[in-house]
Amino acid sequence: MTSCMAGQPLTVVVQRIQIQKLRHGANLILGFSIGGGIDQDPGQNPFSDDKTDKGIYVTRISPRGPAEEAGLRMGDKIMQVNGWDMTMVTHDQARKRLTKKNEDVVRLLVTRKSLEEAVKHSMGSYPRQ
Amino acid sequence: MPAEVKQEQSPSNATSLAMMQEPQEVVEETVTIEEDPGTPTSHVSVVTSDDGTTRRTETKDISSNVKVTKMVKTVTTRTVRQVPLGPDGLPLPEGSSPLGSYTDSIDRRYMKNGGDRFITPQATSTLTRSYNNSYNDSYGETPESQYVRHYGLHDGYADLTDNYGSLSRGVNFRPPRYPYLPNSYRPENSYTLPIRKDDYGHVAQPQVPMGSSTVDLNRSQPERFQAEPYGLEDDRRSLGPEEEEPYELEPDYSTANRRTLQGANRGRTHREPLRDMPRVRGYPDEAIEAELIDERHPYIHGMYSAPLALPERGSMASLDRMGGRRSPSIDSIRKDPRWRDPDLPEVIAMLGHPIDPVKSNAAAYLQHLCYENDKIKKDVRQLKGIPVLVGLLDHPKSEVHRKACGALRNISYGKDNDNKVAIKICDGIPGLVRLLRKTNDMEVRELITGTLWNLSSYEPLKMVIINHGLQTLTNEVIIPHSGWEHEPNEDSKPRDAEWTTVFKNTSGCLRNVSSDGAEARRRLRECEGLVDALLHALQSAVGKKDMDNKSVENCVCIMRNLSYHVHKEVPGAERFQDPSALQAPGSAGPQRKKKDDAGCFGGKKAKEEWFNQGRKNGENDKNYDTLDLPKRSEPSKGFELLYQPEVVRLYLSLLTESQNYNTLEAAAGALQNLSAGQWTWSNYIRATVRKEKGLPILVELLRSDSDKVVRAVSIALRNLSIDRRNKDLIGSYAMRDLVSNLPSGQQRPAKNLEEDTVVAILNTIHEIVTDSSENARSLAQAQAIEKLVAINRTSQSARETKAASHVLQTVWSYKELRNALTKDGWNKSHFQPTMTTTPKATKNGKPGYDDTTLPLMEKNQGTRKCGSGDMIPMDELGPDGYSTIDQRDKDCKYKAVDGSVDQTEREPLKNDTNRKHYIRTNRPAVSLVDACDVKPQPVDSWV
Repeated sequence: MTSCMAGQPLTVVVQRIQIQKLRHGANLILGFSIGGGIDQDPGQNPFSDDKTDKGIYVTRISPRGPAEEAGLRMGDKIMQVNGWDMTMVTHDQARKRLTKKNEDVVRLLVTRKSLEEAVKHSMGSYPRQ
Repeated sequence: MPAEVKQEQSPSNATSLAMMQEPQEVVEETVTIEEDPGTPTSHVSVVTSDDGTTRRTETKDISSNVKVTKMVKTVTTRTVRQVPLGPDGLPLPEGSSPLGSYTDSIDRRYMKNGGDRFITPQATSTLTRSYNNSYNDSYGETPESQYVRHYGLHDGYADLTDNYGSLSRGVNFRPPRYPYLPNSYRPENSYTLPIRKDDYGHVAQPQVPMGSSTVDLNRSQPERFQAEPYGLEDDRRSLGPEEEEPYELEPDYSTANRRTLQGANRGRTHREPLRDMPRVRGYPDEAIEAELIDERHPYIHGMYSAPLALPERGSMASLDRMGGRRSPSIDSIRKDPRWRDPDLPEVIAMLGHPIDPVKSNAAAYLQHLCYENDKIKKDVRQLKGIPVLVGLLDHPKSEVHRKACGALRNISYGKDNDNKVAIKICDGIPGLVRLLRKTNDMEVRELITGTLWNLSSYEPLKMVIINHGLQTLTNEVIIPHSGWEHEPNEDSKPRDAEWTTVFKNTSGCLRNVSSDGAEARRRLRECEGLVDALLHALQSAVGKKDMDNKSVENCVCIMRNLSYHVHKEVPGAERFQDPSALQAPGSAGPQRKKKDDAGCFGGKKAKEEWFNQGRKNGENDKNYDTLDLPKRSEPSKGFELLYQPEVVRLYLSLLTESQNYNTLEAAAGALQNLSAGQWTWSNYIRATVRKEKGLPILVELLRSDSDKVVRAVSIALRNLSIDRRNKDLIGSYAMRDLVSNLPSGQQRPAKNLEEDTVVAILNTIHEIVTDSSENARSLAQAQAIEKLVAINRTSQSARETKAASHVLQTVWSYKELRNALTKDGWNKSHFQPTMTTTPKATKNGKPGYDDTTLPLMEKNQGTRKCGSGDMIPMDELGPDGYSTIDQRDKDCKYKAVDGSVDQTEREPLKNDTNRKHYIRTNRPAVSLVDACDVKPQPVDSWV
């Protein structure tokens, strides 16, 4: 269980996922799509419990794609990409970070609902709107 | 934008299309077809080889259940390869000839297997057990008893076979042989053929010797032997009248065979397997057995020379030793170096041997060799064996053409279509049909129809089968087995259908063939008695509550296929067109049919009148609420039966009672087809479904676990909702079940339906909601908006997204609902198309682009007009339409055009689906590209 106090860094249960990109023609494919970012409307994020969460979320996964193979799931929140923080980035920054042409492997740090039960609770205390 | 609109609309059209597409399902049929051939499985046949040796061949029907087949295969393979020669005394007895050795080897294995089997997973469970049992039994016993046991093992084998098909009898016979074995060995060897592999002819002649030996054997237990002349078809023989023939032909053989086989096997064992693989196969087992023999039965040694020393080749060998102790007799037999199995060219040459038993044995051996062995099938083809086999179909002796049919059936099975083509090229199809007309032997008829079923799975052969065999299949099989009579006598009770193998095979064949496009459908519809008989059979099935079998499935699928496009393709259909529905002018289906149909229908005039009458009624009946069925002066018949409102009850009964998903899907598909289109009859059908209380039945099936059932039912509901009353009812009562099939948010529902199904459901919802704010309200009340929004925004499928988007736009178009929707927390942006819908290009970072400003409703309406109208232009079927088939097919078909729908039907797509899916999903990445950064909407970027 993690406890969360306003103003304090939140400790979250995370999972490391490494994805080998698939070469698809000239493109490297991870096989998932992301939503969110600090420039997006967090209220539209169907995956977040906290509708103020501007994090990057996995919104879709290609069946049998590299991401699925690696265990990534729809609804996962991406915390880091190759060590870069993804909780306070714009959507496009996140996208670019994931699609570096010179990187064949992407290591993600994600958290997902099942891991995040405790977090949810604390979030729940936030006034919801 | 307009472009987008069109796309969206297409889904609705698609729905209608979907209906049309049903034929596609046919494809599935094809797959099934293959199963049929397998029906029975392996036959153990004792064949007298040319040499006079008997072989025991196991023929496994390819067609049999896949599982079975596989199992069998494994077994066979091993046997063949590992134990070529007759080391196993037991098996051999049954099939004495070299050919027999294969069979024998198999048996041996089993025998040996006592231990092995366990090890080898491949063996069919049934088989294994029996073997095991026999094995165990034999153990502690004295040598002689062991022999007996071995036989017993064989018996077990036979039984096993029986399970598959017809071996059991053979088993019984075998036991007697054993006793003889010791004595008979040598004689048998002599029977068995030609020590010299070279002399085929000689071999054949040896029959006499065999007979003599046989005689001895017979004497000991003549009766039994006689009972089963040939191993392969023994079981069946009893059934068929022809069975007796074999006796006549080769009395000695029959009796002798088994023994001979045994002897032969032994002989073989002894013989050196010179060249052929068969031997190799035999080795391991033999060696083991030999050892056993030595230990236990010295006398056997005397009889046979050098049984032991064979090297073990097969993996089996080791196993055998462990478990295999019990079967000494076999060992002794195997090692005779003088004997060997004939190689393939030799076997094929034997097909032309002047002595009939040689021919039939060779054919039976070929059947055995070909079982599940694509390589051998190919070799047979390349060695020109197929024309020879086809030539044997016209042989006067039933034993010969029976075996030839068996071989052809196995050869025709499988993915190698070249084999099928080879049969066709040498006029095998007319040959089979000719034989079907001639023979009364049930087994032969099963084999013929099984072969035709196999052949019918290959697209290019479908029309050939129709041309040569349609009427014969109908007259010879479908009609008599369906119980239908052209002119029933008052006194005779209506007969029930008989679900025979022949009927199953034939209906499977026609099912495949019925998917070959408009022309094929026309031919089947107009084939005299076919539709009548199929309907009768189905009614009989319903009456007996026996609706889960394959035959019923086949019949329903044929009906479904024949119901496809009836409104366009049936002669005179144009007279029934609903004037209110102006169909695409291009679709003048009926034209071509007219020319040919004269032949099939005698009473043209009466029909004409009837049509006119119906038409009048139809016109009067525009208003769907009243259901005034046309009155007929005479009962409808032939293809007219396809779309008479009476069939509705039949299909609904099937939908209510059947547990077979394929049958359910086909029955729903039939209703789907019949309720599509704009002609008088579809109006009747739609109304009749309602009056027969069919809507709740269909809605209930939305909860089915089967994806395709849900899909077919969903599309049927969509077509049914062309009827306004139906639309209201479906909107009130089906909405929740429809919605519950939609994926919710990120996780799919328990059912995890395929994309096609989800799209079909969305299109159905769209149809229901169109022009009905009441239904739109129930949709919202069914908690659908949340799901629709989720699909619209997060679905990986562009088609799902688009379909959901259409529904949402339609819902938002009802201003009276907006208040309620807003209260639930929704706003306009939720009902807008997502960027997905617009492949357009909005690349990232164009925040300026705001979809919201676009007039949603207008778009919809535009779209709507086309789609929502009561008339669904079938021809327009867009790519989005629902497709039963997997993606690739759809693509093809759509591109190909409407006409291509038929194509869809063809292929069983199963496997590909996945692949496609993968590709497909990746593809979307492109179009889905995150794109519009439209502020309000969450951006979604594929990476």
